[in-house]
This record gives sequence, structure tokens and C-alpha cells, in this order.
Amino acid sequence: MTPEFLSAVADTLFPGDDAAPPLPSATTAGVAARLRDHLATGRDRAACGEVLEAIARAAGGDDAFVRSDADVRVDTLKRVEAELAGPFRTLVSLALRDYYEAEAVLLAMGWRAAPPQPEGHDMPPFDDTLLEQVKRRGRMWR
Amino acid sequence: MARQDPVDVVVVGAGLGGSAFCARLSERAPELRIVCLERGDWVDRSAMPAYRGDWQRAGLGAWSTSPNVRLAAESTVTSADYPIDDSASPIKPLMWNGVGGSTINWAAHAPRLHPSDFRTRTLDGVADDWPFTYFDLERHYDLNDAAMGIAGVPGDPAYPPKRSPRLPPLPIGRMGEMAARGFNAMGWHWWPSDAAISTVDREGRRACNNGGPCLIGCPIGAKASADIVYWPAARRNGVELRTRCVAQQVIVQGGRAIGVAYRDGSGAAHEQPAALTVIACNGIGTARLLLASNVGAVDGPLGRYLMFHPIAYARGMFREELDGPRGPIGSCIYSHEFYEHRPGRGFARGLQFQITRENSLLNQAARLEPGWGRGAHADLREEFRHSLPVMVMAEDLPEASNRVTLTDDLAPDGLPGVRVEYTLSENSRRILDFGLDRAEEMLRTVGAHRVARLPLAALTGWHLLGTARMGTDPATSVTDARGRCHGVPNLVVADGSLFPTAGAVNPGVTIAALALKIADDLAGEVTG
Repeated sequence: MTPEFLSAVADTLFPGDDAAPPLPSATTAGVAARLRDHLATGRDRAACGEVLEAIARAAGGDDAFVRSDADVRVDTLKRVEAELAGPFRTLVSLALRDYYEAEAVLLAMGWRAAPPQPEGHDMPPFDDTLLEQVKRRGRMWR
Repeated sequence: MARQDPVDVVVVGAGLGGSAFCARLSERAPELRIVCLERGDWVDRSAMPAYRGDWQRAGLGAWSTSPNVRLAAESTVTSADYPIDDSASPIKPLMWNGVGGSTINWAAHAPRLHPSDFRTRTLDGVADDWPFTYFDLERHYDLNDAAMGIAGVPGDPAYPPKRSPRLPPLPIGRMGEMAARGFNAMGWHWWPSDAAISTVDREGRRACNNGGPCLIGCPIGAKASADIVYWPAARRNGVELRTRCVAQQVIVQGGRAIGVAYRDGSGAAHEQPAALTVIACNGIGTARLLLASNVGAVDGPLGRYLMFHPIAYARGMFREELDGPRGPIGSCIYSHEFYEHRPGRGFARGLQFQITRENSLLNQAARLEPGWGRGAHADLREEFRHSLPVMVMAEDLPEASNRVTLTDDLAPDGLPGVRVEYTLSENSRRILDFGLDRAEEMLRTVGAHRVARLPLAALTGWHLLGTARMGTDPATSVTDARGRCHGVPNLVVADGSLFPTAGAVNPGVTIAALALKIADDLAGEVTG
């Protein structure tokens, strides 16, 4: 499978968007390169290979898929998803992990690249005045 | 089989129940020699994923709360997992099989049961009363509060006054404030969570810094877990903890337990003779071990009456920016407006609303369908940092047909395989539907422009309860009020398996309180 084909598949799964800041395409986020790793040595390489071969077959070959426009690519993937639901889900799960872990994607979604620790998050302390209404209630327990 | 020196007490399982039991019994009766066998090992906090860039995927694989997912991911964590056939259950069991048990990956939302939960038969005519009351257990709740350190706000009208002091409450954030305004607008009860999470530096544990993903372990030790809360004291008191030791059988002769057969980490077989045997392996592991040991009558109550807390979600989408995965995931605020039984609602007993924080970006993306294509991006943009999840947690009533059984296969750990057979009852379904309707009302009242419902969440089987329930009748219960098995009085259960009913709150602190009480009961017998 050519790098162009893997990029085309990855970018059909996660094309990115034009919002501000924009989500990058899967290839820009490094997903296509990781897909090659999954195919070569990953635990799920059999499932990935099966799906990618099915996509190429459904499109009439790697090059045909690469040359086709976005809507045709989506239709092709939907057909393969219907035929090979389990393996297709595996492929999506792998790509999903790589995509949403990418720094550019996290930042585009308004999050941060750093993990939860050691920074944690600053949050204002609890405002006790919110509870005034509940405190006026009598005993609820039996 | 190597025969170990006899001891006074052998405990199987170093989770919350076993740990609390060991710490308390060793404190009250220091003359006893106590050995604890734990199938897993100590967790290495420096290896927890919250410091790493791959922390999101860890929660979906190697550090999942599901043992089956961890096994499928070929995880190398120190939880010694065994496969669970959960194909006959819409709710999938979650647990951690190592020192600290499931408190390693719990959310530490730490509500007590209500007093009415102990008297469902008397008050509401359903299920069974516990063999003691809330007030009989209250002192042990207080003891556990002191050990864990509970953050919260005193004075919740849904509970009797709690005597134990509270640490300063956790921040509730924008999501908690939004929900609080919603509950206030509806005129409903709500309260900040009691959380077993330290909000101050305390006894070597750091204050919570609102990092978020408690379910993949708390590397700073702010979250209470049994390994750091109970084991330091237990070890100081002389309890011997043997890790990577998998109990194979409780050996029973002539109506007495004489010890435990186990395999160590090398696979070598041992027998640990003991005057008293205590099992605390959670609602699945305890039933599995006792069934494999032929304790109790065939087709008796052992393994039956499995209760989860069935969970549904109503997730409100808001234009305003909310917190997303900021703050301890399970501990924010709750509402017990519909907790107590009320005739005319169309179901027995009630529910808890628990406002949780959101999942990680990856976790939220993985939940969406179809999860790929431009539509997936748009869905995620609508939701991430703009959603407010309301967890609807139903009280599950005990049903004999919901159960843990053994399979005909031998599992890799040497024990028979285990299977969970569970059907959501009509009563639980009605509670969830009622709760979803009310939650949606609240969310729309406070400004949600869309509410997404999840009628039953699969990966929420945290609470494994009832499979070795307490009671007085051997036909419908496995142990007496002190956790002693009917017919084998020196075989004791000390975990959530004992619950006759489940209430509608997270059971962690009740499991701990129960184990502490059982230890005190035994200590009283030993020391007179």
C-alpha cells in the first residue's frame, strides 16, 4: 500500500475542519505515518490490513481511491464499514487514538498538550452561597 | 504442596474490604498473626499514565477500569486480572485486582448509604432489611472517614448529621455551578460530593490539584486508596501481605475452614492453615472462590442476588464554555431529590443524580457514533468543553436470577472460569427512565440546547454487590450479620458481596465501614 493511499484513507477518516483554530487533517497530525506502523508491527495489523485491502478493492485499486473525490472516498469507506464492521471499528479506534492525542488536535479543540500531571488545573474554590436554598430545606432522610 | 506455618487469620484479597479489615483487626487484636494473600501486586505510582502524553489512550486500554479490556490490551499493570464472561450481562464488571483493589481506579465519590437503605422491607415493603441499622454502622463510617480523609460540606439535609469532620470541599467548577443552578431552579436537592480525596496536604498525601482522570490512578496520592490509607497501618501492626498469591480454594473440613490453598508468583502450590479465613475479593471474586471451594449448597444463595447500580446518562450541550475533563472526574455534586421511595412514581426505591466531570477528548471522541468523518469533528466540537453529564444511578433490587456462576473452563489463574448472568429488571428500567426525564428537564431549564441520552451505560459495573449477602435465613443468605458463613462459622466475608440491598449510591465507604465493623466484631470475640 502506498503512502498516498494510507494518507487518503486517514484523511477520509479524520479530514480536519475549517473552524478557528482549525483541526488538522489526519496526515498533518501524523496519523498516516502511525498507520504504517500499525500495519507493520501492530497487534491489530491483520484487521487493519484486511480493511485497507477491502477499501482498495472497493475503489478499484490504491490509486483509484487516491484519485477519487472526497464524497466517493466516504462512500467507499461506508461500504467497507458495512461489510467489515469489526475490523473497520478496529482501524477507526487506532486512528482515533493517534489523532486525538496529537498536540495540534488537542490545541485546536481548546485543550492543552500537557498531560494532567504534574500541572493539574486551577479551579476556583466552591462558592457556598449556591447552597443557601438547599440549606433551608428540612430533613429529607428517613 | 508446601504447608506454611499456621496463623490465626488468613485474609484473601487486599482490596478495600480486606485492607480495612486487616488494619482494624491488627490494631484491635495485635496478638493475632494475620496473613493477607493478594493475587496482584502493589501499584507503582510513578508508572501511572497521568504524567504521560498517552494518558488518554491508557484509559481505553492498559489502564481501563475493565479487566477484560486490560487483558485484551495485554496490559502489564500490576492488576492480576482474570477473564470474566460478561456476555450475558448488559453491564460489564469493572475492578482492579491488586493491592488497594478497585480503589486504585475508583472515582472516590464517597457517599454513605441512607438510613432507609438498611430498612427497605420495613419501610417500603421491598427486598430485605440489613441485619443492622445505619446507626449501628455509623461509628465505622466515621473511622473510615478519618482514615481516608473526606472532603465535603457538612449539613446535607439528605443525611443525619455526620460526626466526622470534613476537609474543605473540592471545587465544583463551571459544570457543577451550572447543575447547581439547574437543581435550584427546579427546587431540588443537591449537595457537593463527599469525596475521598484530600484537599489539603495530609499524612504524606498531596492535596488534589484537579488533574482529572482519577480512573487511571492518582499518582500524587490525593485520592484515597486502600494501599496508601490502610496498608501502612496494617503493616506497622505486623500484618504480613503476600502479593502475587492466587487463592485456589478455601479448605473446609467438617464444617470448619482450615485454611487456604494458593499458588505463589512462581506457580508453586502452598497451603496456609489458619484458625479463621476471611474472603474479600469483591462481589465476583468472592463468589467465584467460594463456589470453587464448594462452600454452600448447590443452587443456594451463594453467587445470586448480584446487584450493580444501573447507570444512564443525560448529557446536556450548552453554548457556554464548561470545564471538560477538569477536576476529579466522579466527585462534583449530587442530588438525592428522588432518592427516597415515594409511592406513585411507578417504581420501588429511587435514584441518585451524580454530576460528573467530563472524559478526556479521546474518550469523548471514542464514544460518538460513527466516530469518523466531518460529522464526527462537528459532533465533538459541539460537545467538548460544552457538555454537562448527569449520571442517573438506580437502586438495583436483589434478584436471585442475577448471579455469578462458574464455567466449565479452567482459567489461566487455576480457578474455574467465571460468568456473570444479569438482566436489568423492569423496576430498574423504570427508575432510569424516570431519572432521565427529570435530568433532561433540569438541563433544559438551565439552558441546554440539546440533551443526549444514554439509556444504559455498559462500562459502569463498578459496584459488585450482594453475591454473599448477609441475613438470618440460610435459604436466602450466605452469612450472618457478622459476615460468618452459615454452616462454616470461621469462614468470614468482608466485602461488598455482603450487601443485602445496594441503595443508590456508590458503595465504597460502606464496604470499608462494613469491613471495619466485622473486624471489630471479631476483635471483640478474641479479646473478650
